[in-house]
Amino acid sequence: MNVDQNTLEQKPVFKTTSWFVSRHNNKKRTWKGLKQIISSEKALPWPDDAVHYSSINAPPSFTPPEKFSDLSGIPAPYTDPQSRLRYANKEEYATLIDLPMDITAGYLALRGATSIVG
Amino acid sequence: MEILQFVDAKTVPDIVHEYTPALRNNSVPIIIDNGSYMARVGWATSTEPLLQFKNLIAKPRRERSKKESVELTQAPQLQVGNDIVNIEALRFQLKTQFDRNVVTHFEAQEHLFDYAFSHLGINTENCVPHPIVCTEAVLNPNSSRQLMSELLFECYDVPGVCYGIDALFAHHFYHEKIKPEGLKDVLIVNVGYQSCHIIPVINNKTVFENTRRLNTGGYHIISFLHRILQLKYPSHATSITLSRAEELLCRLCKIAVDYRVELSKWANPDYYEEHVIKIQLPFTATVVNSAVTIEQQKERKKELARRLTEINARKREERLAEDEEKIGQLLDIKEMIEYGADKATVERTLTEFQIKSTSELEKNILHLNNRIEKTKLKILAAASNLEEVEEPPAKQSKYSKMAFESEKELYMFLQNIRKMRQEILTKKMIRKQRKQDMAKRRTAAGQERMRIISQLARKEKGNDDFGLRDEDWDIYKTISKDGGDSDSEAENEKLVEFDEVLRAHEPSELGESSNPGETHQLHIGIEIFRAPELLFKPYMLGSQEAGLSEVIAYVISLFEPEDQLKLASNVIVTGSLANLPGLKERLVTDLVSVRPFKSTVNINVMNSPNLAAWYGARNFSRSDEFQRALVTKKMYQEMGAEYLKTYQASNQYIPTPSPISTDVDVLS
Repeated sequence: MNVDQNTLEQKPVFKTTSWFVSRHNNKKRTWKGLKQIISSEKALPWPDDAVHYSSINAPPSFTPPEKFSDLSGIPAPYTDPQSRLRYANKEEYATLIDLPMDITAGYLALRGATSIVG
Repeated sequence: MEILQFVDAKTVPDIVHEYTPALRNNSVPIIIDNGSYMARVGWATSTEPLLQFKNLIAKPRRERSKKESVELTQAPQLQVGNDIVNIEALRFQLKTQFDRNVVTHFEAQEHLFDYAFSHLGINTENCVPHPIVCTEAVLNPNSSRQLMSELLFECYDVPGVCYGIDALFAHHFYHEKIKPEGLKDVLIVNVGYQSCHIIPVINNKTVFENTRRLNTGGYHIISFLHRILQLKYPSHATSITLSRAEELLCRLCKIAVDYRVELSKWANPDYYEEHVIKIQLPFTATVVNSAVTIEQQKERKKELARRLTEINARKREERLAEDEEKIGQLLDIKEMIEYGADKATVERTLTEFQIKSTSELEKNILHLNNRIEKTKLKILAAASNLEEVEEPPAKQSKYSKMAFESEKELYMFLQNIRKMRQEILTKKMIRKQRKQDMAKRRTAAGQERMRIISQLARKEKGNDDFGLRDEDWDIYKTISKDGGDSDSEAENEKLVEFDEVLRAHEPSELGESSNPGETHQLHIGIEIFRAPELLFKPYMLGSQEAGLSEVIAYVISLFEPEDQLKLASNVIVTGSLANLPGLKERLVTDLVSVRPFKSTVNINVMNSPNLAAWYGARNFSRSDEFQRALVTKKMYQEMGAEYLKTYQASNQYIPTPSPISTDVDVLS
């Protein structure tokens, strides 16, 4: 009885039985992520003029990025060589040197500046 | 200044709508605007979408222990769309069918369709006898459409499906209807949740090769805002939630027409004070006032009082002992005189005690006797006082003063505590300064350190007597980066204690705010501009992509000059974020700056931009074109699952070529 109730509860009437049964039997199904889809799409021999999802990405910026203070967002002429955070004035620097590691790391990660090289 | 509060809007679970015979028998199309943020579902005959819900499901994790025993009966309750009342409680279990703006997770999509169809009231056996109009991403990968068709035809057995692009539906079948200017060239800017699209339409035909997608959207703005606020207020990190950030975006955020100018305005402290928005976080006053309970607080105060009286008692005892010793000595001298010692010795002893004459000796003895009496009395009084303090703990303000004999003593005591506190603070500061200096190479401290290190490293054979004396090892203290001693636990404890004492005696001392809620306020200034600015400066999140204005200019530049003019003079903004204040003005200024002198630039924001796609799709389903654009089940079976009929608002259809033989079989 329990099982009956469950099937009733789980399967809305409007779903086809065949689909429901097949789905129920092989539950685990992995779905390709977008990256996988794109890369498998790229591997195919498309006609030359075909346009794809991956081909309409925005171009990279042609202007150099402006530097803003990590703390306040106002234009920042300085960078602290130790924490690599950007700051705008001495008051910000005073707060910056007191910041714990996790906060400075958080700011850098947010800006995507965690790479050692960059 | 008014202080705002979070609304924390809760979703209302959807009702199950009535499935009328008119709907059932006429196979009325179902319109689904399947957006990466929200889904809007309704009948082609309805004026408004009946269901609007976030495209999310929450799947509670099954407990591992129960897994084997009762698998089916204990199936976890799945929450879908508007069933999720408190989204923050389930934040880590949320799933969406979208990866960026493409549907990839079709199990989740199935749950969401189940939710939509059952709330539309559909109760026909084994099928949904209605054609579906569904939106999809621009240039949706074929494999995604294939799985979507499979789901719709195989699982719900729908008679037909029609896919279209949301922004194009909105433009061709909604916007044009209310603004019948008949302009055939348009640049559609769709500002969405996961991405922004810039879609040029020339002569009513979508130019896919010049379409561009900016992979920054509302989602990124929300998470950016969320994170900067969390980092700004680390102590409130848990109360700053994503849904609250979303609320901030909807209620407060604006786009600066000129971001630099806006920034320089906010950099001025007066302007900041005047315009900063304060938001009160929910808090409970008692918890704020003290991390400890009242019981503990009382206990602590008692302890403190006890310690103070102990100090005083010790002092008195010391004084008593001192006096008693002195009086003993004086009595000795007196005895000596009485027993008739020679004059010279008496004189010497008297001068030793700084007493001029024997009469003064008598006086001193009397005086000391009095003092001893007094001190003894005081000790007794203090002991009884102590009892008193412990009896009525309710009068907490009095206890501190009772421990002292006079105002002056209290003052001295406080002065002392203050001095000690200051000493610790200075020590700490010096240490910090030293640490900083050590870390840098060019400071005197840093160089001194390097000198010592190099001296230590220099090995002179033969006469190495390092370590013979214990002091030798101290040198390692001086070269360690924190200068030998770090902020010790004991010191911090002392500091806390001193603060407590000072607070107890002089509440105004440490600048305690009178309103405990003030520490639970978020001050939001430049952030309301900073977060949405992300659309124009994706590099603020570390993205390499160009900003919205730049991409628009880029897309326009891909066309011939006369087409450029046409596109620039008819730009339409749609998508949920199109209503962000200032967006239109910003786009106008940015576009004018890149267009030739005196050329026309015209930008319009669509009416109800968040629902326009649904309205457009609905209008389309009522038109004659709809039947032509419908992919029926038969076509699905014949042409393959990815098949698409192209029309004005659809994607283009390029059948997936069969893979190159050397390649691994990537499809299927």
